[in-house]
Formats: sequence, C-alpha cells, structure tokens
Amino acid sequence: MPPEAPATRRFFREAIARALREEMRRDPSLLLLGQDIGAFGGPYRDFEGLLAEFGPARVRDTPVAEAAMVGLGVGAAAAGARTLVAITYMDFLMPALDPLVNYAAKLRFKTAGQLAAPVVVKTTAGAKGQGVAHSQCLEAWLMNVPGLAVVAPSSPGDAYGLLKTALRAPGPVVFVDHKRLFPMAGPVPDAEAAIPFGLAAIRRAGRDVTLATHGWMTHPTLAAAASLAEAGISAEVVELRSLAPLDIETLAASAARTGALVAVEEGQLPCGVGAEIAFRVRECVPALAVARVGARPVPVSSNPVLEAASLPDAPRIAAAARRLLRPSAGETA
Amino acid sequence: MIRQLRVPGPIADVEEVRVLQWHAAEGERVEADALVVELETHKAVVEVRAGRAAWLRRRLCAEGEWQVLGAPLALLSDDAAETLPEDAATAAEWPVAFEVI
Amino acid sequence: MSDAALLRTMLLCRAVEARLAARPDCGFQLFSAGEEAVAAGLCAVLGPGDQLLCSGRSIAPALARGLDPAAVVAELLGRTGGPCRGRAGRGHLAQPSAGFFGAHAVVAGNLSIAAGVALAFQAAARPGIVAVLFGDGAAGAGALHETLNIAALWQLPLLFVCSNNGWSISTPAAAHLAPARVADLARPFGIPAATVDGTDAPAVRDAAAALAAGIRAGGGPAFLEAVSVRLGPHSTSARESRTRADLAALAARDPIARLSAALGEALAAPLRAAADAAADAAFRTAEASPPATADELDDAA
Repeated sequence: MPPEAPATRRFFREAIARALREEMRRDPSLLLLGQDIGAFGGPYRDFEGLLAEFGPARVRDTPVAEAAMVGLGVGAAAAGARTLVAITYMDFLMPALDPLVNYAAKLRFKTAGQLAAPVVVKTTAGAKGQGVAHSQCLEAWLMNVPGLAVVAPSSPGDAYGLLKTALRAPGPVVFVDHKRLFPMAGPVPDAEAAIPFGLAAIRRAGRDVTLATHGWMTHPTLAAAASLAEAGISAEVVELRSLAPLDIETLAASAARTGALVAVEEGQLPCGVGAEIAFRVRECVPALAVARVGARPVPVSSNPVLEAASLPDAPRIAAAARRLLRPSAGETA
Repeated sequence: MIRQLRVPGPIADVEEVRVLQWHAAEGERVEADALVVELETHKAVVEVRAGRAAWLRRRLCAEGEWQVLGAPLALLSDDAAETLPEDAATAAEWPVAFEVI
Repeated sequence: MSDAALLRTMLLCRAVEARLAARPDCGFQLFSAGEEAVAAGLCAVLGPGDQLLCSGRSIAPALARGLDPAAVVAELLGRTGGPCRGRAGRGHLAQPSAGFFGAHAVVAGNLSIAAGVALAFQAAARPGIVAVLFGDGAAGAGALHETLNIAALWQLPLLFVCSNNGWSISTPAAAHLAPARVADLARPFGIPAATVDGTDAPAVRDAAAALAAGIRAGGGPAFLEAVSVRLGPHSTSARESRTRADLAALAARDPIARLSAALGEALAAPLRAAADAAADAAFRTAEASPPATADELDDAA
C-alpha cells in the first residue's frame, strides 16, 4: 500500500471481512466453509456480516471435520467454484494436509492443466496461551510443497490486500494470520487494492544488519530494531509477507547493503523459514553473516511463563543481532 | 469540579478501542448508573456507565474515532455552568463502571 | 444400457488390462479384473453431465465412463497422448471434459473431493450427479464418516459406490471392518443404501439406477455397496496373499463369465473378438504417441 493512499483505521478482523465481502460480491462462485463462520461471525468476528449478506448457501458452517472441510473446498474449487476454507487453528491443518498437499497442490500438474484448485485455506497460527496443540507455526512445512502459495500478513492493511490476491489466485493458497494480530488496528486503504504475492516490504530502513521476519513476529522484530537503535546499531527490518513465493531479491539487496542477516520466526528452526531464506540470500551475498532466531525445540505450553520462555521476543532478537555483529557482545541479553 | 471520562480498563487483550455510540449529548446531565458511551474492542462492546452524576460538557472523541486505554473521551463538570479550562489534562478522573459484552 | 452393452464394456476393460499386464513396460498398475461389473453397471447410469471419481484402481472405471481407449492406454504407458500427458498414469488418470473427474490414488482420498465436486454442482444449480467409486479398504477411514455426514447434512448430489472386493491388500474385510455390510455405514446418516452382487452387471446397473434417480430427484446422497471379487493380486507389485484354491473359487465368480453365460456364447463370442480388436487398436495408437520427456517438468515449474 503506498503511504499516501487514503486509508481508514480498522480492526484486523474488519480488514479480513472487507476483503471477503468484496470478493464475494465480485465472484458469485465464491463459497466460504468453516466452523462457526455463519451466525457467529467467525471465532474472531472476521466473518461478521457475511451470512446476512450472502446467505447460508455461500457461507457454510461445517462440522468439526478439517480433512473433509478442505477436501470439499478443494473439490468444489476444482469443479468450477472458488472456495475459502477457514481452519480455526493451524495445528488442525494437519488432518487436512491430505487434500491440500496430495490433491490441491498436485492437481494442475497431474491433470496437465485440465483442472486447478483455486482454494484459499485461511488459518490462524501462533502462541497466545492455548497450549501445545493450539499454538504452532507450521508455515515452513507448507513452503516445502511445490504448488502451494503461502502468505502471512502482519497488519490489517496487508491482510486485506493479500487476502484479495489469494481470492483471485489460480491455485491453492494458505493464508496464515496470527492470534496476536486480531487485537490490532491499523490503516486499510479506502480504495479497493490487492497486494501481489512475492513482494517483501522494508518496514524500517537500516545500515548495519537486516532482520527478516514475517507475520506477528514483525512486531517484536520492530521493537528489537528500536532497542538496537538506542545502542547505536542501525537495523533494517524486512517483512516477507509472502513465504511462497519468496522475494529473495529484496532480502538479498538489503543483506548486501548491511552485510548481516538475522532471520526471525516464531516457529521451529530446523528446516524452517530462516534456514531457507538464510541459505538463499547467502547464495546471492556469499560473505554474509547469518543468524537465526526461532522457538526453542520444545512444545509451546499454555502456561504463560513457559510459553514466553519458549518463543522469540524483542530482547532475544536484539541479542542475536548484537552477537552477530560483535561476537563477544550480547551475552547478557 | 471538572472531570475527565477516560477509556476504562484494564480489559484483557485490548489496548485500543473505537467509539461506537454516545448515549449522552453535550450539555446533558448524566445520572449515576446511566449508560454514557459504548466502545468497541476487536471482539466485544464495552458499556460505560456513570459512577456518579455529572454534566457532559464536551466530547473529545466522535463516534468512529479511536482511543487507547486510559486516554480521555470527554469532559464533565459537577455543575452545569462551570468554565472548562484550556487544558483539562490534569482534571480528575470521572468514576465509571464498565462491562465488556 | 443393454446387458450386451455392459458385456461389451467389461470385455474391453479385461482386454486392455490383459495386454497391459503382458508388457515389459507395464509399470505399477492396479487392475480391475473381477470388478468390471461395478464400473460398467455404475457408468451405465451416468450421463454426460455427471462426473465420476474413483480410487487408483481406475482402468475399468475410465474405460467404462467412455474415455477413448487409446488415450487411456497412452496415459498408462506414460505417453503425451494421454489426457494428462502421461503425468498421471493409472493413479491419477483424469479427463473431466469426458465426465471422468478422475482417479486419486490415496485410499479414501477422493471421497471428500467428490463431495466438493457435488457441492459445486449444487451451488451452481447445475443438473447432474457425482459418483465416487472406492474400495472396502477406504471404508475404515475417517474420511468416509466425515464425508457421509456432510453429504447428508447438505443433501449433496453424490452417489457413494463401494466396490467391496473383500480385501484391503492382504487384510480380509473381516479383519478391517466391524460392520458386516459396508452399506450399513450409510444408514445412521439417513442416506438411502443398498447392497448388490457386484459380479452381476445388470444388477449393479439396476441398483445404481434406482439410487441415482433418487439423487436426481433432489433426494440427496445415496450409497451403493457392490460385493465384488478381485481376481488377481492387489497390484502388479504386490504378492498374492490368497491360496490357489481361494483364487479358483473366485474365478467361478468372474463377472464376465457370468454375463457371457447368461447372454449365450453366440452373442458373447463376437463381442469378445471386437473387444480384442479394439484393445489392439488402442495400443497401436497409444504406442505412436510420443513418450513424456523431462521437458514436461520445465513446463510445470
């Protein structure tokens, strides 16, 4: 979104609902499937008002049956509808990976273009006090699947623009929001606008180190950059927005300027988002110093003390940047 | 005495609200327990009721405007004709009761 | 469709599979031998506006649905003349323009997809029904329960057809399914269900016709169990787990022999010759089609 575009402050959920409403009006074939998205308006009120406007044939409450929900969404999309399936917790995408990965992601290839599956699976990742099976960030698993697009906004404006693009995409898209984004408000452009996939955004300019991140972690990363600035370290924050496709060009250009890259994610480090981007950026910038910040290799407890201890936060992100730039520093953070 | 109506709190998970609807006009007397304003959070509505009677003198936020928790929403006075100061930031807080629905 | 037409379809399926099995480049296949009557009987009641989805045991369903045998064989042999340009093979063979939405070689994986196709039909107020053909091995999967539930709730135009050949690879139905009849799984959902002898092609056709008529009349989903036989091993790479005596007993239930006997050799013999000729022609045409090359992957990427 260009900064000069007229915008109105909206809750995150309102940005989602607006994108859905506009696309439902534009494309009469668009169907929404999900648990509690009808009269209840969605667990986060992000589907509010849609049942009243579009009716129960297009806004469908489903049983708790994630595998069948995604299977139906994929099958209907393959047969000429467009669908969005809401999976309340990303952890429950696991039972639905079969239709998503084994069918939707393969469909265009395996049928030599006879069929495609324009389906959006919208799901909510991340930790917010709900425990080991309701807190995970599994984006990296999905980045590993050819044929899937994966996007993760950090603000209402980007959620609106990325969801618009997802709902016009030719193939399956996983749209990952985060529980901690829903209390947020932010500017959403007044005019209809979509944000293309594969475009990272520089959220803060800096000279000394590039901090790359996505989704909710953008906010602790920006806080880390602010605290690094107080210590005389100028950090550039690059928000990926789209994980598949990845905008390596923007990241590599930033890393080439700063000479150092810290990849930040809420999920696990092994084979994670950071591992992928660090390797790919280093292919472009060979002398690059790299570090990763992610969750400790333990489950995420609902106990707030244990939850916080297992996840990255601004001080840990800042400490990782300081260690990378001055290997003897940052030990106390 | 001049008093400030502030966004009440704490409210779990909420830092910022949007004014949904005023239920008292400027110049109107608000009785104790009367509904003064409804505020919208990301998932609920907060009903704010008068903790004691006062005159609503000036709304500082229109419907649809945003305010963070603890920030001023309106100025009130115990007597209808009291002069409002230029800077009311130091005015005493008007007691309210609130319910998140 | 006449009984003779059913026999013609079944003979073509058998002839194509027999030729494929004899080839050194046969590849990994799941044959339908013994289950042709299910495919033929079901497809006899499907029209051009309907769609069929099936498991990875797809050769008879595709041929019975009326796909060009040469194109089917080309796909099975990895030739670009296949509807999926040789990318999909038997496991994922598809030609939706011909009413064959396709195979999906994940056991039980096509059930909810088929319900989604039926949902698209319903949402677009499109006439036509969707049929999904699966084996008894899929009947123990949660996907069936989830899909039956939603199909019943939303009254989707979906015909579930289980070809119950009694074996999930080497595991007999008695060891993997608690209900004695697979069709009983549909009843708690209020879905009309029937069990039919799946080696009796006209009986399959008539049972499918009755259930399909109910769906076409707006009655919501229906369920057909066809008790069939698998005359050979699970796949071309699987060991046969049954004894010679068992197999001999199954051969006595061969649906093609059964219908041939019913119609008489005078009628069956020329149909058999025609099927052999059609299969030979299909292989000749398919062999003339260029094999897929690695360039296919560049196109896909």
